Amino acid sequence: MNSEVLRAVVDCLIPADDFPGAYEAGVCDYLERLLQTDLAHQAEFFRAGIEAIEAEALGRFDKPFAYLSASEQSSMLAAIESGAVETSWPIPPACFFEMLVNTTIEGYYSEPQQGGNRGAISWVMTGFEEQLDS
Amino acid sequence: MNHYDAIIIGTGAAGGIVACVLSEAGKHVLLLERGSCLSFADVGRDHLRNQRLAIYGHNAGPDVNGNPRVFVDPQGRSRIVKPYELDYHNNAACVGGGTRVYGAQAWRFHPDDFRMATKYGVPEGSSLADWPISYETLEPFYERAEWELGAAGNGDSIQHQIPRKRNYPLPPVGPSPQTVALQNAARQLGWVTTPVPLFINTEPYGGRAACIKCKYCVGFACPTDAKNGSQNTVIQRALATGTCELKTSAVVETIDTDERGNVSGVSYFENNGGKPQRQTARAKMVIVSGGAIESARLLLNSRSALHPAGLGNEHDQVGRNLQGHLYPRAYGISPTKIFDGVGPGVTIATTQFNHNNPGIIGGGMLADDFIKPPIDFWYDSLPPDLPRWGIENKRFMRENYTRVMHVRGPVQDIPSPEGRVTVDATVRDQWGIPVARLSGTTHRATVEAAEFLRQRGEEWMRVSGCDKVWSAQPGLILSGRQHQAGTCRMGSDPKSSVTDEWGRVHQHNNLFVVDGSLHVTNGGFNPVLTIMALAFRGAEFIARAI
Repeated sequence: MNSEVLRAVVDCLIPADDFPGAYEAGVCDYLERLLQTDLAHQAEFFRAGIEAIEAEALGRFDKPFAYLSASEQSSMLAAIESGAVETSWPIPPACFFEMLVNTTIEGYYSEPQQGGNRGAISWVMTGFEEQLDS
Repeated sequence: MNHYDAIIIGTGAAGGIVACVLSEAGKHVLLLERGSCLSFADVGRDHLRNQRLAIYGHNAGPDVNGNPRVFVDPQGRSRIVKPYELDYHNNAACVGGGTRVYGAQAWRFHPDDFRMATKYGVPEGSSLADWPISYETLEPFYERAEWELGAAGNGDSIQHQIPRKRNYPLPPVGPSPQTVALQNAARQLGWVTTPVPLFINTEPYGGRAACIKCKYCVGFACPTDAKNGSQNTVIQRALATGTCELKTSAVVETIDTDERGNVSGVSYFENNGGKPQRQTARAKMVIVSGGAIESARLLLNSRSALHPAGLGNEHDQVGRNLQGHLYPRAYGISPTKIFDGVGPGVTIATTQFNHNNPGIIGGGMLADDFIKPPIDFWYDSLPPDLPRWGIENKRFMRENYTRVMHVRGPVQDIPSPEGRVTVDATVRDQWGIPVARLSGTTHRATVEAAEFLRQRGEEWMRVSGCDKVWSAQPGLILSGRQHQAGTCRMGSDPKSSVTDEWGRVHQHNNLFVVDGSLHVTNGGFNPVLTIMALAFRGAEFIARAI
């Protein structure tokens, strides 16, 4: 699940600024664990969606998703969110995208033990905690 | 021994009190709990699996597997739901019930909440009715619950609306930064405010420590045991008598009747780590305190030749009038930081709009909220025009998590007989017991009140100085969940109620319901203190009757 495309996708959903983006915070690790446990029954659906994003990027730009510019990535994901895809998807794009956003956000903002909020970084960023948890 | 003075089913807000009162009166009590006794560590601090935000599971029972319900949506489509799904309308299943993980707001109902039909008339299609007892009748029992469990509040602030004879035993929680802004705005608007009463030890009380002001009240357990629920107050007292026997992982299948139709005891499954074993126990009295959904389910499942529709259901009333609360919500971005990380977070409320709102039946209270973990904030509190992802979303979380002010409030449900619990014809739980089937909604007048409260919430945010204000209101949906009530309502007429004013099921001298099921209406407040007051009153009656 730690594929190049997934890394780029989660970093587009939660980009780095002064604070880490989703990948650096551990969201791909979080997703990997979630798809082996609570969402094991949807792992294939999720994998198909990530592959479809890559196919959509190749279809639109003739380039892998990770090699698109930030604005190309964002506008393509926005199109997927609204269901306006240009390639043939094996699963409903908007439905997949909602799951992708929710799970990425859950990893980043929930407690560090879940894996996607390393060093409680999002808690420090929001102000929920003032100091880094050890 | 399997013959008791009383068998109590459920250890939540009501069952614990009944066990305490009966056992302290010297009665032999069997207290049955379907869940288990959960430690602080058992409840944990999982931000995605708790009673407030339950995305992949929850933390206070029932077990995710083997305990389904059936939910029927307004279009009539039914589906099987798991305990952590919203449409399950879960309350916790563990020793202490919902009080193990509740936020612990300790509100009395308003005197007019007991006479809704008289005050407003009965809208067509609703089952709005007066309670068989008044506020004045319940007042001493409110006081008793506040003092015996330990409530913190200011007894003077709304004395003119909800009169009390005695102050709270504990001082209220202190103000937070938003409290001042909300209080000043309410003063400008001419609205009454009060500190939010809570079952939280603001000082050491009842032999337990004071609150350490952490960020984890609602949905979680308290690290210093300073949140007062059934499990650390009345149940401890019951067990200390030596005459109360508590059995956990004990799931009641039926209330049993003898050949003449009289209640004789219960049949239940006990799971001691191995294969569940069916047990029977006999008692002079049976008290059902399983919460509004499970209590109704149990009565409906207790069928026999003499009671073919279940116990207490001769007039098809058991399970009807299911209600809880709709929660309109308003948010605004404060010009200054209002988050200080000091729990519980809920500090101030207005009771200005619980009644006497033009053109509205009832109304509700509005209060600020418990501290929300960031993921809860993301799901609950973002403006509808904010992108759900990308740098703009991250920036909003970064800049505004500590600045978003929030008020919300429980709106008094106007009950409908169509909002109801039945038992499903085919779906069964892991013990083979037919499960609860939930359908219908409350009456549409509820939504008119919710919309009115949503607008007042926005007004409060604006006058508090917020730059950007937004709000949400859930529309007409089945409410229930942690505030579930109404399914075995009290009354004097057996054709339109299930029990008398003591919780005694009509036509059964030794069968009682004592929990939120009894509420004829559910007030515009968190209902737990009223559940407790009714439990003290009912339990004293039962103790005398044994």
